[in-house]
Amino acid sequence: MASHVHPTDTTLRDPAGLFSESIRRLIIASYWLVIIAAIPLWWQTTSIERLSLPTSRVHAQAANTLRFPVHIRLENVQDDSLAPALQQFVQERTQTSGLDVTVDDKDADSYTITLAGGPPLVMERQLTYPVRSGTLPALADTLAALLVPPVDVHRVAQYSPRYRLAFTLLNEDAAAGTSISSWDVSRAISRHLSPILNSLSVLHNFTVESQVQFHAPLAFSPVALPHGYGLTPEDLTVFVNSAEWSLSSSVSNDPVLHFILFIPSESHKPLQILDSNGNPSSSDAFLLPQWGGIVIYNPPSDLDSSQLPPSALTSVFSTFAHQLLILLGVPSLLPEMRTDPSSALTGWQLDALLRRRASENADGARDTLESIVKLVDQIENMPVGQDVRGDVQNSLTALDKMYASTSLNETLHQSADALTLASRAFFNPGMLALLYFPAEHKYAVYTPLFASAVIPLIAAAMREFRAWRKERR
Amino acid sequence: MLVSFVHLLLLFSWSWRTLASHEQLVGDFFSKSTSNHTNNWAVLVCSSRYWFNYRHMANALGMYRTVKRLGIPDSNIILMLADDAACNSRNKFPGSVYANPGRGLDLYGDNIEVDYRGYEVTVENFIRVLTGRMEPSVPRSKRLLTDANSNVFVYMTGHGGNEFLKFQDNEEISAFDIADAFEQMWQKKRYNEIFFMIDTCQANTMYTKFYSPNILATGSAKLDQNSYSYENDNDLGVHIIDRYTHYVLEYMERINKTSHQTMRDLFDSYDPVKISSDPGVRADLFRRPLDEVLITDFFGGVAQVEVQESTTPFSGADGPESVPAADTRPRVAATAFTTETGVQDESWRTMRTWGGVVLLGALVGWVGSRTV
Repeated sequence: MASHVHPTDTTLRDPAGLFSESIRRLIIASYWLVIIAAIPLWWQTTSIERLSLPTSRVHAQAANTLRFPVHIRLENVQDDSLAPALQQFVQERTQTSGLDVTVDDKDADSYTITLAGGPPLVMERQLTYPVRSGTLPALADTLAALLVPPVDVHRVAQYSPRYRLAFTLLNEDAAAGTSISSWDVSRAISRHLSPILNSLSVLHNFTVESQVQFHAPLAFSPVALPHGYGLTPEDLTVFVNSAEWSLSSSVSNDPVLHFILFIPSESHKPLQILDSNGNPSSSDAFLLPQWGGIVIYNPPSDLDSSQLPPSALTSVFSTFAHQLLILLGVPSLLPEMRTDPSSALTGWQLDALLRRRASENADGARDTLESIVKLVDQIENMPVGQDVRGDVQNSLTALDKMYASTSLNETLHQSADALTLASRAFFNPGMLALLYFPAEHKYAVYTPLFASAVIPLIAAAMREFRAWRKERR
Repeated sequence: MLVSFVHLLLLFSWSWRTLASHEQLVGDFFSKSTSNHTNNWAVLVCSSRYWFNYRHMANALGMYRTVKRLGIPDSNIILMLADDAACNSRNKFPGSVYANPGRGLDLYGDNIEVDYRGYEVTVENFIRVLTGRMEPSVPRSKRLLTDANSNVFVYMTGHGGNEFLKFQDNEEISAFDIADAFEQMWQKKRYNEIFFMIDTCQANTMYTKFYSPNILATGSAKLDQNSYSYENDNDLGVHIIDRYTHYVLEYMERINKTSHQTMRDLFDSYDPVKISSDPGVRADLFRRPLDEVLITDFFGGVAQVEVQESTTPFSGADGPESVPAADTRPRVAATAFTTETGVQDESWRTMRTWGGVVLLGALVGWVGSRTV
């Protein structure tokens, strides 16, 4: 058995003598060089990108308020003192609403007041009124009601450039007796809703969908009455059984306004709405604020077809049209005013809505921009990327353009753009702040990773340093 | 005895008066209730996974059932659930989750819509849901589309400790993160009021960092205190619900969608002896007095919906009283964290950190000087 023997000429060499002094130092220095060269990379990859935002421009915007010039022309009025007096009265009434009202008899394309007897007649942008010095305060009240109508903010849906309108024909139980299995919904929409949708197309883009359901049970039992069944006010608040009714598709993130025609089953017919005293009311419809409208239709038992009768279709869709106007915040005319029944809504109403939506949007955009700046300031590890900064700048530009614009449509569009851009900046997915990461967590992460590598390096460097100093001495 | 009778009498007369005034209010469809909200949302988070955390799944599903029954539609509920209990191979009752002895009510039974499932339940996704910072491709069902008129109910359950809650044994959310998320919601007018409820160990520490207005918060246990489970099911072999959530749900079973019970009533129903921990309430950020805040302001769907009156209520009260079953896991987590931070203050923490650095430096110097 041959024993393993080292070749005679190879001896174990001392590693210290392997390299010359300078090469060893070079090797140690190169380690340090790599570490130092990598520090900027490490710094760059671990730091958060926080671009500066146009803070001063945002704060400057906060001081601005949107003002609307309103020009009213008094037509065919001989008495010259009426116009200034009316202007005074109207200004008093619309002071806080951002309107700059001027009244004169000069020709300009805006609102016109025509002298005539009888009750006030409201046409496109025209008002017929018995103008005398004695009727001026009443006229100013009417004008104020037309220019800045009161609005219930909890009823009106929040502004969105796009809405989905979902029309649903709900049979409580089609299997149990009379049911309505179809309705001529496209004709009804084009007859009753298209005029409204067209007038409002400057504000919103509408998508319409419709469906028929044959089994839509109520989640409660209506109150039994001597003749039929009743829905108490409390029942109405819980009428929509959304656990079992599928009311709209979820294809997009646009807000949905629901319109429901409810056909009670044979066992709940006729279904009536009760007032707070428990008496049947004449109304067959109700509105859910910001959500939609519901109409209850009790089909006659001698109905020969399963199609919704045209007369019922007309009344149902005119109710839906009314509910749509309420939900979109279209101001209604005062009861004593007469209007042209052929037009869906007058220029007065549309303008008032445009003005309100524009100032709402402008306020919303300003608030959102303010809160972006505030939050970025407040939350230190919230990243601010190029797209956020771009959106904020574009939103500010849109606001500036809005103040400079001369037409109401332009004002609204710029305000909507400003709000959309500001919201997009706020909701930018990249703006998610890093999770709260206290200093001790950082030590816990870095120490096991780096200490084991750095300690020999530091030790070697110190040893070399000492050796070098010894040499010099 | 006499006192409680007088109290009952007072309560009765009071609720009668509110009932009468409510009747008048409802007469007008558009009248505003005391709360200014027009829609209700719920975010229900179970941050645990694995079979032995069955009870956390049951907690979240119990809340889900309650808010749905009281009228929040599925489209307004964001349910985050690991969802590995119902179809777990160890589940003797496949497809079902029970939270009460006797298994009278299957919480998983009909119509469950889990929006964030399994590994989607992360801290990041939760924060994204709250703040609304989503990729444009995220579907509607996964978004919290609230506005300035929304009342939001946020319920969280899982394993936690002092100012943190664990997500699936993988990451943690801290009290600061939730506070900041709520502030961002407030800044963007994404809520009218928030009701925050959390069931975990040392839960009350989770709401101490909130600073945004209109938030009402409640938790199951105070600092250094565990939150215990309620009931062990011998057939399933696991604990099936936590004590705090169990008693809250039991109380909720007595509420219907038109109930006039208030948050004060709910908080008064907390019994530290039964719950085995001290539940807390934080109302300093909230503007309305608690005895005017209806439970249905947060658990109901304003004028939107109604879910059917339950026929199988939580039968916990009738069931045999079980021995308080200590929850071992959370205790481990809690004590581990307590020894780490405990009650020491910030300066001690900094001092310790620097001490470590100095020690490390000394060590390095010693090694360097010795071997030459």
